[in-house]
Amino acid sequence: MKKLGVIFIFGILISLSFISSQEGTIGVSYCAERTVSGAWCQNVPLDKVDKSLRYVPTSCEATSYCKLGTCIDSKEGICMENTPQKVCQDAGGLWDEKESDEIAQCNLGCCSLGDQAAYVTQTRCRQLSSIYGLESDFNPSVSSESACILSASSSVKGACVYERDLQKTCTFTTQENCLSGDYGDSVDFHEEYLCSAEVLGTDCSRTKNTKCVEDKDEVYFLDSCGNLANIYDSSKIDDTLYWTKVVDKEESCNPNSNNAGSSSCGNCDYYLGSTCKEYERSKDRVNPSYGDNVCRDLSCNYDGEKYQHGETWCADVESVSSISPDFENGNPESENLPGSRYFRLVCYNGEVSVESCGDYRQKICIESDIEGFSTAACRVNKWQDCIGQDNQLDCENSDRRDCMWIEGVELVGISGGSKTGVEEREKAFAGSSDESTRGQPFSGTGNAIFDMDGEEVEEREEGVGSCVPKYAPGFNFWSSSEAESICAQASIECVVTYETGLGGGKECVDGCECLQSSWIGERNNLCVSLGDCGASLNYVGVEGYYDEEALYSRSGEEDKTDEE
Amino acid sequence: MERIFKEEKRELNKIEGSMNNKKGQVTIFVIIGVVLVVAAIVIFMFWPQIRTSFAISSDNPEIFLKNCLEDEVNENLEIISLQGGSLSPQHYFIYDGNKVEYLCYQEENYIPCVVQRPLLKNHIENEISNSIQNTGGKCLDSLKENLEKRGYSVTLNKQEFETEILPGKVVISTNSSISAKKDESNYNYGSENKLNVILDNNLYELSTIAISIISSEVEYGDSETTNYMNYYRDLKVEKKEQSEGTRVYILTDTEREEQFMFASRSVVFPPGYRG
Repeated sequence: MKKLGVIFIFGILISLSFISSQEGTIGVSYCAERTVSGAWCQNVPLDKVDKSLRYVPTSCEATSYCKLGTCIDSKEGICMENTPQKVCQDAGGLWDEKESDEIAQCNLGCCSLGDQAAYVTQTRCRQLSSIYGLESDFNPSVSSESACILSASSSVKGACVYERDLQKTCTFTTQENCLSGDYGDSVDFHEEYLCSAEVLGTDCSRTKNTKCVEDKDEVYFLDSCGNLANIYDSSKIDDTLYWTKVVDKEESCNPNSNNAGSSSCGNCDYYLGSTCKEYERSKDRVNPSYGDNVCRDLSCNYDGEKYQHGETWCADVESVSSISPDFENGNPESENLPGSRYFRLVCYNGEVSVESCGDYRQKICIESDIEGFSTAACRVNKWQDCIGQDNQLDCENSDRRDCMWIEGVELVGISGGSKTGVEEREKAFAGSSDESTRGQPFSGTGNAIFDMDGEEVEEREEGVGSCVPKYAPGFNFWSSSEAESICAQASIECVVTYETGLGGGKECVDGCECLQSSWIGERNNLCVSLGDCGASLNYVGVEGYYDEEALYSRSGEEDKTDEE
Repeated sequence: MERIFKEEKRELNKIEGSMNNKKGQVTIFVIIGVVLVVAAIVIFMFWPQIRTSFAISSDNPEIFLKNCLEDEVNENLEIISLQGGSLSPQHYFIYDGNKVEYLCYQEENYIPCVVQRPLLKNHIENEISNSIQNTGGKCLDSLKENLEKRGYSVTLNKQEFETEILPGKVVISTNSSISAKKDESNYNYGSENKLNVILDNNLYELSTIAISIISSEVEYGDSETTNYMNYYRDLKVEKKEQSEGTRVYILTDTEREEQFMFASRSVVFPPGYRG
């Protein structure tokens, strides 16, 4: 059978191309003793070297003058790692090429100073003892800072009774201090007794005055001699027992509350969100029943919401993804827009401060909530190897990377599960070294999968897709051509095939989806998901230089006749 | 009739006299007011010199030196605090109009910073000492001159000024000695003990926290600001991420309203793969 027919293939080349610029060249790196900007011991290109000082075309680690090690401040007992030899010695320090944990002088231990503790070196412990005039005790066997701080215990205090001007008086202090001789030879120490205790028969009596004490959270009653008594509790103002012996914080009023805004209880707690402060009408809700001090509420009000003291949370910025532990996939059209950043907000002492997670969304803000207390952090955006993943499981392995799988849409140059294809793709994503191909779109149809050479490998299968960054990173596309290489991964040339029937009409037979406007949007979404690519608004809502239509072009119509 | 006129005239004179008295009082008040205003202006304009002159009457050279040095030292302390511990930073990031020195810096990406000021406390002490040598010398000369004006025969042995930053204070000291003789009176200052000038400042605590943050920047490439605020109740730590990976830290003592600012660049993730 002779089949007559003329098949015209109209090759309509549709291309999507993206913004690019030229990449700077990276020259040989020198170890500069100092750079022209004044930084010490940096590996920099020759044009950044201060040539009046030493420089050699090698890494600083290989030089004698900029070798990194530990700098020991033998007077203060402080060890600083990653310090160049020259910088340390010029500053008057002792330099050792070993790491600090291998240097005896830098070994840390628990230094007890009065009722406080610090996890420092032995020299530092001695120095702190000398500075603060306190007896110190260094314990090198304590292996962590938290254990050290927990080990700090206050010395037992009590009523130190003595005579002054023929009057029996009292000071609330430690036994050691009481017996030091400062209060004369005839002293009596009454452990855990308050000076206001009637049984002691001193001239110190209870008052209605209160006081805030440095390094303590609570409001304390004062006796008439100015000594501290127990934690302020208005219901105990006339309670003889409460003015006789020391009552622990845990046994004082409302020990599990911060007592902010309480007029009757001064059992404040910094970690629960309050601290002792002098009453101020503008800051405190209620006036204390006695005295001038209250537990001040340290929580914050932000955007109409109340946050507890110590809470941190991610800012609700329209142009970045809102991230929570159950965050799935974002919307590339409205999130992670060019110029946007992630921010962390911090509530401390009644004030909210803003911490940016940095430019180009190289860090993202993550947040979790435990029983209504939110904690947030800026952490690295692990987007770099997304494009190298060829299956959904690897792509969405959140322990390794921050990627998402887009079903049914493929980046070009992907040869299914071919290892070579993935490697090639990663290589291309990392920046093409071939100037002639960099930024050029790949050819393909909407259905076929092509390898890097443009050869058709296989037809699209069910379940195919693309692995793209979950939080699209930013690029400095105005000064580096790397953005061009990355964005080019989403560029595609789609060949549309038409068949002309005997009646003369044309019918699209292949690649027809490329003619639909939804295809352009789909490709642009893929493009935008890669980073600052494609057509989108920026973080302040201004449109970019190109819109979707400008990134789409038809070209090259070719006729082919096939006769059998 | 004439009598009536005389009496009226007398009354008028009385009223006039009383009016004149009141005018006089007003004039006196105006003069006193003007004198007070002029005195206030003079005191405002020449306060340091006046204060120094008062100080000499106390015959205490430490108070004299404190009054003489205090303004300059406080001014320098403020500059040093906002510039990462240096009066003239060599390598800095401009933040809020201040040259904030890098205490730790790494030009390359992805790797931890290299410490630029390993002995920060020592460096700050040297910066303060160097900045006041000249003024300190002039203050000693001025002290000598004041004593000589009062008839003393004065011997001055000038030595350098040293600085030590301690918790809550900055101590400026010198081994200089001054002896003054007049008739039976004989004073010796600084021969046995150093002459000390003590100023309230929290640079010690703030610089110690800065060192801790730098250690964290070296070890982890970043620091967690809330750790410090949990431990130090009156401390506010702000971390301001800047372009190109620079971080500016602002440490504020909320009680004293004193600040210390410094910059760091560590483990920077550039845009794209290479930046």
